[in-house]
Amino acid sequence: MIEVKELTKFYGSGENRFQVLKNISLKIEDGDFAVVLGASGSGKSTLLNVISGLERPDSGEIIYDKSNISTLSDNSLVEFRRENIGFIFQQYYLLPNMDVDKNVKMGADLSSNKDYKAIIEAVGLENKLHKYPSELSGGEQQRVSIARALAKRPKVLFLDEPTGALDEQTGRQILDYISKLQNECGFTIIMVTHNLNIAEMANTVIKMNSGKVSEIYTNSTQKTAYEIGW
Amino acid sequence: MRLGGDDMVVGVKDTAKLIGISIISCCAVLVCTMFLNFNMDIVSIKEDIVSEQVMIFYDAQVSTAKVVSIVSGGCLLVTSLIMLIFYIKHYIGTHKKELGILKALGYSNFKIAKNFWVFGINVFIGTIIGFCGAFLLMPYFYKLQNEDNILPSISVNFHPILLLCLVVIPTVAFSIFAIFYACYKLKKPVLMLLKDNLQMSTGVHKIKSERNTDSLFIDDLKRSVLKSKKTLVFFIVFSSFCFSAMTQMSASMKDLSSVMMGAMMMMIGLVLACTTLFLAITTVINGNAKTIAMMRVFGYSQKECCKSILGGYRPLAYIGFAIGTVYQYVLLRLMVDIVFKDIEGVPVYKFDFPVMLISLAVFIIFYEIVMYVYSEKIKNISIKEIMLENKY
Repeated sequence: MIEVKELTKFYGSGENRFQVLKNISLKIEDGDFAVVLGASGSGKSTLLNVISGLERPDSGEIIYDKSNISTLSDNSLVEFRRENIGFIFQQYYLLPNMDVDKNVKMGADLSSNKDYKAIIEAVGLENKLHKYPSELSGGEQQRVSIARALAKRPKVLFLDEPTGALDEQTGRQILDYISKLQNECGFTIIMVTHNLNIAEMANTVIKMNSGKVSEIYTNSTQKTAYEIGW
Repeated sequence: MRLGGDDMVVGVKDTAKLIGISIISCCAVLVCTMFLNFNMDIVSIKEDIVSEQVMIFYDAQVSTAKVVSIVSGGCLLVTSLIMLIFYIKHYIGTHKKELGILKALGYSNFKIAKNFWVFGINVFIGTIIGFCGAFLLMPYFYKLQNEDNILPSISVNFHPILLLCLVVIPTVAFSIFAIFYACYKLKKPVLMLLKDNLQMSTGVHKIKSERNTDSLFIDDLKRSVLKSKKTLVFFIVFSSFCFSAMTQMSASMKDLSSVMMGAMMMMIGLVLACTTLFLAITTVINGNAKTIAMMRVFGYSQKECCKSILGGYRPLAYIGFAIGTVYQYVLLRLMVDIVFKDIEGVPVYKFDFPVMLISLAVFIIFYEIVMYVYSEKIKNISIKEIMLENKY
């Protein structure tokens, strides 16, 4: 379980200092599909970065199964991300001079996963194994980034607007892949989006507004990627 | 002040990044001016020489000056040129978007490229400092060249042709070359320039997965980094080559020539080695900042990032050192056996093994300190900045 207690985060200094996260507290159960919803500038990406250990909070605690990561040293935090966390970003961030196989291997090597090619197959890219990012469509690149994240067998998968740069059809396809893989592997998902309809796929929805959690609710039934409106 | 397109491509402040070219030009012109000026001045005393032994000494001095000027000047000129090409290529690579926008707005390649003349300023600064510096050192240099008063007294004269050949022409030539090379590099479709660096892999060495190989990602990345910018490989090898050749040669100079010559060689060698090494490593780190950031996001340690990005250069640095050792030995052997063969009192030259070991030990310490400094730089690469840079 991930437990966030009284989390605050400031950016800037002096007169330009402003609070991005204001005393946020929440809990996410293991295996949850949690969506953080909010308008641009609401602090949702910062919350994702802080919970995942990419950024440090100014105060508060982030507890993963009784271990508080906000007090970890830089090296321990890297170690923590290595063992627990996977990331998928809107901009993919694939390595341009590495083919699909090598990009996925970047994640796989961290968990000594020799069967990473099965994940490439699962995202339907087995025929593009030796293609480079520049030779792939946006949807295919995002599938590579999914495979890369999952190849390291994360306990928690963080997604920052994973469909933001994709068209509707490809976006649905990507969400469908993620959802299916979660059902198979059972990892926890924390996804940031501003798309209200995507929230219908989640079982926990965290709404954010001006750096605060304005509402947390659970969906009794989750829709599939193809059932939601866009 | 920013110039170009008419206000946004190349700024005078961008020339600060080419300080390496200024330093190398300075070293090249310093050495060439001293020896060529000496060569031109020594001609005036030729008629006063009556003894055959003195004439042999005279010829040896003329030959030495020619060899040193050609070897040092030529070597450093080529290095400056490679550095300029590399920097323009790198500049265009990192400013693709701005250049693409200008092209999309209708600016011609030449109109954008003509602003790259400013890079000639670096050559001018370097050459003029080298030229003036040479004249400051020249009285001492002349005295050392004729320490035993074998030749009649030689006075220092100013030769305008040297100013033209070593300062004016290189400055103009480098400016023109920069314009035409930039023009050539800008001959890319606008869309190619506009596309994001991370998504575009044009010009980047691609590493294809070899089927049935179990190599680690870190090793693959190491190979990819190494092959993606071959010019940097040259700079790393050149850097260690300079360190090795110049430090070892400077030690031999104490016996073969003078302490001053040795000190000058040592200084030039260290400056060149540091300049090229820092330039190369900084470029490697900056060019791979996004890759490093992603590796750290995924949980690769600082040590692993360093190993994959910088580790591949270590063997090349030692190869450069070995080449430098051989080069200095062959060059000094040639000088002693051929140029000074008829001169009496020239000490016997032998390979100095202890000096080589000391030079190697100092080089290892120097190289590893630089690597440590840069590994700390890797640690400070901000993941957030990289993400924001890509997002907007």
